[in-house]
Formats: sequence, structure tokens, C-alpha cells
Amino acid sequence: MKRVLIAGVGNILLGDDGVGPYVVRKLAANYVFEDGVELEDLGTPALDFIDHITGLDALIVVDAVNNGEPAGTITLYRKEDLTRQVSGVRMDPHSPALRESLLAAEWFGGSPKDVTLVGVSGESFSARCVLSEPVQAAVERAMRQILIALSRIGVGFVRQFAESPARTWWMRKPGEVQA
Amino acid sequence: MTKRITIDPITRIEGHLRVDIEVENNAVSNAWASCTMWRGIEKILEGRDPREAWLFTQRFCGVCTTVHALASVRGVEDALKLEIPANAQYIRNLILINHGLHDHTVHFYHLSALDWVDVLQIPKADPAKTSALAESISPWTGNSRNEMRAAQEKVKAVAASGQLGIFTNGYWGHPQMHLDPNVNLLAFSHYLQALEYQRKANQVVGMLGGKTPHIQNLTVGGVSNAINLDSQATLGMERLEAIKVLMDEVTAFVQQVYFVDACAIAAFYPDWFHIGGGVRNYLAVPDLPRDAAATVFDLPGGFIEDGNLSSVKVLQKASDQAFRDGVTEDVTHSYYEGKKALHPWKGETVPQVTEWEAEKKYSWVKAPRFQGKPMQVGPLSQVLIGYAQGHPLTRKWTDKALETVSTVSGRKVTINDMQSTMGRHLARAIRAAMLSDLATQHWQLLVDNVAKGDTAIHNNPVFPKGEIAGVGTHEAPRGTLSHWMVIEDGKIRNYQAVVPSTWNASPRDGAGVSGPYEASLMRSPVADPEKPLEVIRTIHSFDPCMACACHAFDPTGTRIATVKVL
Repeated sequence: MKRVLIAGVGNILLGDDGVGPYVVRKLAANYVFEDGVELEDLGTPALDFIDHITGLDALIVVDAVNNGEPAGTITLYRKEDLTRQVSGVRMDPHSPALRESLLAAEWFGGSPKDVTLVGVSGESFSARCVLSEPVQAAVERAMRQILIALSRIGVGFVRQFAESPARTWWMRKPGEVQA
Repeated sequence: MTKRITIDPITRIEGHLRVDIEVENNAVSNAWASCTMWRGIEKILEGRDPREAWLFTQRFCGVCTTVHALASVRGVEDALKLEIPANAQYIRNLILINHGLHDHTVHFYHLSALDWVDVLQIPKADPAKTSALAESISPWTGNSRNEMRAAQEKVKAVAASGQLGIFTNGYWGHPQMHLDPNVNLLAFSHYLQALEYQRKANQVVGMLGGKTPHIQNLTVGGVSNAINLDSQATLGMERLEAIKVLMDEVTAFVQQVYFVDACAIAAFYPDWFHIGGGVRNYLAVPDLPRDAAATVFDLPGGFIEDGNLSSVKVLQKASDQAFRDGVTEDVTHSYYEGKKALHPWKGETVPQVTEWEAEKKYSWVKAPRFQGKPMQVGPLSQVLIGYAQGHPLTRKWTDKALETVSTVSGRKVTINDMQSTMGRHLARAIRAAMLSDLATQHWQLLVDNVAKGDTAIHNNPVFPKGEIAGVGTHEAPRGTLSHWMVIEDGKIRNYQAVVPSTWNASPRDGAGVSGPYEASLMRSPVADPEKPLEVIRTIHSFDPCMACACHAFDPTGTRIATVKVL
């Protein structure tokens, strides 16, 4: 059994930054995965990300990216792409997240060999709980990239016959009751 | 000649702290602290059900996630005058204690120790001498010669591979680094061990909260942890014992390693007890209630003016009348409309975007004031306020710290010297030691209460027609946090979070009075304006967290400190 984590990362309160948690919850509602696969909405982790990734065989992260591409573009990053850049002076504890957790896990042992970041270029990161149109339209493609990444490492999944509602509670409008 | 330095480690969409200073004759002559992103996320809460507000507020931030959840439910309970069961208090307390222990440990070792520890010196250390030194000051079992040698080998290997950037600082070899090679190695070996212990503390948060970051077990009215001592499916004795084991390990690390290292590093930098004081008004709210009605607290609250400990006033309750009445937010220098300082229940958040202008508007942070004055918040405030009140647990650990630092440095360090950059670091270690003592106590309170047959965890909230207002307070790792809300017909009408970093990163107010970050930088030495290590040291001592970060991954990783000659 392979230990795999599919982690949605990002702030659900800040527009397109919430695409990671959204995609993961959507996947969880539509697919059943082999034992050993965990799906988690990790929100905005800092160094505690290390604890989630240590000991994994493979890590798939889905997150908004800021890479200058048009909104909704999907870019895949491998481990080397994520760890190559060296951070400089850090002012607050938010900055460590992904890059430094990977470096730290690498350094202390237990870093997943296979790392994929499914990056979705965002359009708007202002305070609201919905995705922009181009990012919403990219959700299906982001999910497909995650499934391809799973297939590549030989991890199985099946699509559920009937779609269940994704537990994206933050997208409800005030006063709206969840179905 | 005056130089203007902007330290602005931001990328396009990450909202972060920016600091601008003017340096004249190697000392800071003026300072501005700004936050670079709008913190208007409270708007999202308008019209929502107060019972689910905490799910949203804890997403403000992934570092301080539990604290915003807690302050939110406490605020709704305050508005409803709803008491929660004793078990719920203890479970919440255990979460906040362990979150604090995790957070303080990470801050000291992983976010700020490398301002004082020079990794480049480590290859020159003698592991045998380092081990002997360590064993002379602490009974910790992880100080063996082999442990030190292994840590040194790791650094050598990383240095040889040219990847020292993993430590994400940049000021190696700076002339202001003063530790001897053996102390550098000692601190570094504990940097490695700390990763393991911060994880254990966080594990406790996960075991009680269901998940971390972003706990799942709170309710307005209590918690959702079903209790049955004999069942493995609920919070029973088996899980409580597992939690106790983890907490005991963390306690040993905090008291025998973190606390000792903080004292040792402080002793090697005694000058830093006279740098970085700044705003000398201090505020802390009481926390860790010992009873259902929250009448007795294990962390005392109060306020001190002008650095005068004998002026201490006590805040008796979590939302004491003096606190409820005393808080305002001023937006003269913030990117919002309005001129008057407003009470948070009447607070407005209407953005007014301008350029960064030192004399006008320059920050997204509002300027909170207590009784009209800027306040410093955080572990230092809590320690000074507890000490001034003669709180026994605060006295126990503070006296121990002051005595140790004085002995090792050969210079008398007093409680008043704590009002400094180094004092903030030492106070955080003191607070961690206090919390570790309290971890056991609150675990016992929970077990004893359940053993009496009380398994209540929740009281049902009932929302009246009409308008009610409440404030939820929490003395968080970074200081006083308050969530202010107005609820109308069971729906949120206004919500304002006044977070610790808002107090500390406050811009100037209408009267031109600076907040704590800005004031603490005034007159600070800056040996090399190209590498403003001293500024970073003082800012880090506050443990800044702008609670507004966006997490989008930026593949360029741009980090900048720019220097301009004026």
C-alpha cells in the first residue's frame, strides 16, 4: 500500500486562493480511492505541513499559484521546482509553508519521493468565498491532473456513480442551508 | 546622511509586514510599520449565523487558527451570556495550552533563533565541549556528545552542498553575532530536536480538536468531544493518557531545553536588554478559566502604563468592563475611510486606497488604542502584568530566568530590563514554561471533573430577537486577541477582530503616536544598513503574524530589503 496525501492548500476566505481546498473536497465527493490515499483540506498550514508530509510515498498538492500565467492555467511543478528557490529574510511565520516544509522534510528524512504541485493561476485574491470564473472553470482540469498523477504512480481510484455534494460549506451564501 | 531602508519581503499577492526605517549615524531615526494587504475578511461574516462564525474566522490564518476559533465562540457566548460546562473549558484550555507550546517553540527555534545563532560558526565547535556545557546547565537527555556531533555533521554536509539557504535567514557572519561556536552548536542541535517536540504539542491539538490546522471540535456553548472514560470511541481514559504522555514529553523539552536556551542566548547578548523597548504600556486579558463560569483564571490579565509595574491594574474577567469600554480603533494612517477613533462594535471597514505615504496613509492595519493609548501585547505584557500582581507561577519562572541570565552573563538583569527586545524572547520562554506546568493541571482538572460523573460538554445557545453585542477575548501566543460582534435577530451584523499583531504593528494614530513595532525600532543600532539584522531581531521578538496571508505559491520566491539614500 502506498501512502499518498492529496492536500488542498490555500485560504478559503481569499477568493481564488481557496481553489486548493475546493478541488480536494470536490474530489472527495466524486471519487473513491485506494487504501492509503488521504485527502485533506489543509487550509493555510505553516511549518506543521512537515508533519503531514513526513513518511509519505507521494504528495500531491493543489494550490493557487502566482506565476504570471492567465487565470485558470494549470502548471505542474515537481519537487525540484519547489525547492530550488532559496528564501531570504523572513518576517513572519506564514512564509515557511510549502517550500521550507519540503526542504525540512528532505533534510530530516522522510520526505516524499514523488511530489507534484498542481498549480492553478488565480485572478482575484480579495476577501470573498467564491472562485473567479476562469478558476472555477479550471477545477475539472485540476482534478484530472491529480488523477493522472495518481495513475502515474500506480494508485487506483473509481468514480462514484452518483455524485455527492462537495462539502464546500464556505461557499454558501449567508442564510443558505446546505443541501 | 540619512538612509531610508524598506524591508518588504512581499510578493504580489501575499499580504505581509513591511517596515521602513530611516537610519542616521548607524541608528534608526524614524520607523513605519505597515501591512500590505487588506484585512477586510470580517465582511464575509455579515449576515451569517453566529454559530458558524468560528469556522470562518479560524481560516483567517493557518498559524493562529485555533485562537480565532476560540475567540469567536467566546464572543457569541458573551453576547448570549451563555455559560459553558467545566469540561468544555478544560478541553478548550488544553487545546490553547498545547497550541501555545507548539507556537512558542516554533517561534523561538525556527523563526527567530537564527537571528542570534550563526550557523557558519558551527563547524568550528567541539562537540565534546558543547555536550559538557549543555550537561552542566540542564538535565536534558538529548545533550550527549554523539547528539552534538550528529548535529554538527548535518551542518557540515549542508554547507558542503551549498544549500545553507534551507535556514532562510541570510545574515550569517554578521559582526553582531556573538555566540561562541559551542553555544551555536548547542542551540542548533536543539533547533533540530524542537521540530520533534513542536509536533508532539501539535498532535495534542489534533487529538482534541480533530484536525490541525483548523480544529473541528468547537461549538457555541462548548465543545463536541463526547466524553466517556471507558470508551475508546470517545474522549476516554485511553486517549487522555496518550495526551498526558505527549504533554509530559513536551513539558520536559520546554523546561529543560527551550527555557534554558533562551536564558543562555539572552546571557550572551546582554546589551539587547537595553534595545528595542518602545511602547511601555502593556495589556493582557486573563485566560485559562478554572471553572465553568470563568471566575478564576490561571493566566492573569491587566494593564500597565509607562513601564511602571506598580501602576498595574487588574482585569478580573475575560471581558472586563474596563476592556469592553476602553478599546477603539483609529484609521488616520490606515487605508480606510473615516477620521474618528471608533469602538469595535461601531467599527467600519471601508477601504480608501492611496499610495504608501509616510505622512498620510501607509498601512492596512488599523491603530487600536486602549483608553486612548497604544498598547504592547504578547508574552512580555503577560509576564510583566502577572509579575506586578505577584502571581506565583509568573514569579516562579521569571525569577528563575532572571537569576539564570544574571549568573551566566555576570551582569544583573532585572524585571525592568525585560522591557526590551531580549525581554520579549525571554518572556515567551517564561510563558511557555508556565503553560507547560498548567498543561498537567488542566488535564487533571478535566480528569477529576469527569471522574465525579460530569460528562456535560455543551449548553444550547438560544438567540433572542433584537440586537445583542459580545466580545470574545483570548490571550493568544502573540497577545491579546478580541473578536467583537453585534448580532441582530440571530444573524451577525458587525464583526471586528482586533488581533495581537494589530496592537503591535499599529501605525501612528490621529495624534501621531506610534505603535509598538515602530516605537521599538527608534534609536536601535544598525551596524550595516545593507544587512539590517538589528531591525529584524527586534521585529522578530514580537513574533509578528499579519493574520491576512494568502497562501498562493510563488515560484520566484522574491525577498527584498532595499536601501535608498535620501
